[in-house]
Amino acid sequence: METYSSGPLLELNKAIPSFEESGLPPLPFSMKLMPGDCVVVEVRDAARATMFADICSGLVPLDGGNVSFMGLDWTQMKDRALNALRGRIGRITRRASWPEFVPTHIAIMLQQLHHTTRPQDDLLQEAARLAEWFGLPGLPTLSPALLSDTDLCRAACVRAFLGRPHLLLLEDPLEGGPQELANPFLGAITEARDRGAGVIWLVRGNAVWQRYRQGITASWRLADDGLAAVRMA
Amino acid sequence: MSEHLPPEPEADNESQEHRLMPDAHDPLVAGRRARRVSVLEWGQRKLAWIGRLTRRQARFMLIMLGASWGVIYESFRAHSWRRTVRYEFVSTMNSIIRGGLVATLFAGVLTGLAAVSQVIYWLGLTGLAKMTGSILINVVVREIAPILVGVLLLGRNGMLSTTELGLLTIGGEIRSMQAVGVDPFLLLVMPRTLAFTVAGFTLGILFSFASLVTGYVMSRISGVITNPVWTFFDDVVTAMSGADYVVIPLKFITVGFVVGLGGCLTGLTATNTDTLRSLLPRGFSRGMLIVMVVSVLFSLEL
Repeated sequence: METYSSGPLLELNKAIPSFEESGLPPLPFSMKLMPGDCVVVEVRDAARATMFADICSGLVPLDGGNVSFMGLDWTQMKDRALNALRGRIGRITRRASWPEFVPTHIAIMLQQLHHTTRPQDDLLQEAARLAEWFGLPGLPTLSPALLSDTDLCRAACVRAFLGRPHLLLLEDPLEGGPQELANPFLGAITEARDRGAGVIWLVRGNAVWQRYRQGITASWRLADDGLAAVRMA
Repeated sequence: MSEHLPPEPEADNESQEHRLMPDAHDPLVAGRRARRVSVLEWGQRKLAWIGRLTRRQARFMLIMLGASWGVIYESFRAHSWRRTVRYEFVSTMNSIIRGGLVATLFAGVLTGLAAVSQVIYWLGLTGLAKMTGSILINVVVREIAPILVGVLLLGRNGMLSTTELGLLTIGGEIRSMQAVGVDPFLLLVMPRTLAFTVAGFTLGILFSFASLVTGYVMSRISGVITNPVWTFFDDVVTAMSGADYVVIPLKFITVGFVVGLGGCLTGLTATNTDTLRSLLPRGFSRGMLIVMVVSVLFSLEL
């Protein structure tokens, strides 16, 4: 992955999300994420957290302002470029995201298989390494419907970090996930940041990220009054 | 027993209902109000209903037209054929052709049997039994085969696509795919539609072959035809016009294309209010309608 270093990786510039489409307060959101940054956003409501990640991915129509990723405004791009750029985002979401028509290992690699020409063996090796890192006994080949919630949570981490994405939108997998996932997850975040990826970690409460407090660049809170910076003590 | 119950005053009943169910959406209240509306309002509502229905059907037709162009356009772009798309195309095609092979051949044999027994009977009366081959071509291959193959495709795989994509749309998996730049049209709709197209042609030809062979065997057994099989097929070929060589395959291809596309689009256009109970009948009726329209259009034209 070539490191992006020409300004903010992600920038929300007075972006007003469409209330009808997102259910988020129609207030201007402003935020900057530089390469290597890790920003925590506290959102109580899981659906809102997903919508906020959708805004960052350019999926939510805006009533005003703009959202840029790697210096490119989502609204100014055509479908093909838009999809190619979204291919550089690794995401853990609480929304259903495991299609039943492919086995889990293909679902994990789907994004990379679709957007890149990396050899499949290469991808399999990286996915297997990440699976082991996140505590799976190997790369799961069963249908996602046959996996436990814990294994799906681990598989979601593998999928998000696979292919060295530039931006990670992580809806907290630690909450409700297995306890032993914490260390590998924080380790993977650190490794991703070291190579220049930006991380937005969406959490419900501040207890989850306290262990990683020193590594957090900024903290924000998304509530009815919009997106507000929280001063870190 | 009801005789012993004291009659309840109507006014009390009404006030009690208002107290207990003040919700304006309550069906009882709504029903009472609906009875009170004037004839004009009733007419307006019916007109609005017809308008909504028309708009919805027209919308689907327009989506079908746009998506048809999209599939054709994208299929000619080398960049569209990524490995995920190729994987989906091959797996869908295998599933349709392998899964539907026996059913199609069986349906072809049954159709051949039914058609030939009727043809033998009716042509035998007029002494034209030797025209069995041309009748088979005109009736079975040109008219019946595309409809039956379309119905088989729709029932076996079209409905599966509708259900699968519908559940993915309602569940949010499609949105999750879009969030990481995986375009569902490119990944699912285009390869599946093209797989249906290839399968429609393949199964259609196999269906026709099965029905013709069965027709020959039946004619031979019943003594109507005494020629060897190659002479029978020569008669069949002679009975075909030049346009048939284009129209018949085109009919199979088009039926496969529209069944695949219709099934995928019905699934993808599902909303949060949809369930399998609403999605499946919609998919089936649309599919049947599409198959019949294609068949009739081709028959009208040529």
